Amino acid sequence: MAISAGQIVFYYLAAAGIASAILAVTRRNPVHSVLWVLSLFLHVAGLFLLAGAEFLAAVQIIVYAGAILVVYVFFLMLVDLPKEEAGPRFGAHWPLCLMVGLGFAAIALWVRVPGLQTAAPAPAAAPNTGSVESFGSALFKQFVLPFEILSLVLLAAIVGAVVVGRRRTEA
Amino acid sequence: MAPPGAYLVVSAVLFAIGMIGFLSRRNIILMLVSAEIMLNAVNVSLAGFSHQMQDHRGQILALFVIAVAAAELAAGLALMIALTRNRPGVQVEELTQLKW
Repeated sequence: MAISAGQIVFYYLAAAGIASAILAVTRRNPVHSVLWVLSLFLHVAGLFLLAGAEFLAAVQIIVYAGAILVVYVFFLMLVDLPKEEAGPRFGAHWPLCLMVGLGFAAIALWVRVPGLQTAAPAPAAAPNTGSVESFGSALFKQFVLPFEILSLVLLAAIVGAVVVGRRRTEA
Repeated sequence: MAPPGAYLVVSAVLFAIGMIGFLSRRNIILMLVSAEIMLNAVNVSLAGFSHQMQDHRGQILALFVIAVAAAELAAGLALMIALTRNRPGVQVEELTQLKW
């Protein structure tokens, strides 16, 4: 069985993404953690490209790598880095957490096996799913109501952030 | 072309890593970052489904997940600022005021 170039790229992206994620949750320095998460997000964007989701890959890079991570790095300035590096990284209960996580992964991998072979491979009805044009037309026609509700969610988050984060003035 | 189901395997592994990080890290910011890893894992599986079924809806759902992640970031970090103002340091064990 020949391995195609697409498969090689997929396995590289998957392995590098998972390695970045492991490094991100285990590094002692929070800035290093966030940089490894940046690497993870870029590899996930590559996975999106491979899955034919070009728009999603662009959004992943712009929103996640560009905006969200920058805000995280900005907020890391609130942390006392030397003190943070001196203390323990994990809580005392970390073996339990590790078991819970591995148990979750085991269950997820075990459950997926039977159903996945029946997943219908590619009905030819929908042409070029990945194209931004058809994606946008589906988003603004079929899913326009959820899209608008999403703007309300973001507005609520903005207002909530301002209200919670503002300095209380004694009136 | 990746083998069918490979996206789900990647997604499950990433989600488990994010879960371990969220449960075990002591730094609140890194807990939020781990939550982002979990949301990203879900997006990977949605993109994989979208590819497998040749259907847009997975990608649209993933877009919504990204927007909700941004909202979560705003709310979570605002809470963190409010916390840091009252007591510096972002270790979760120290936040016990609500403990009964």
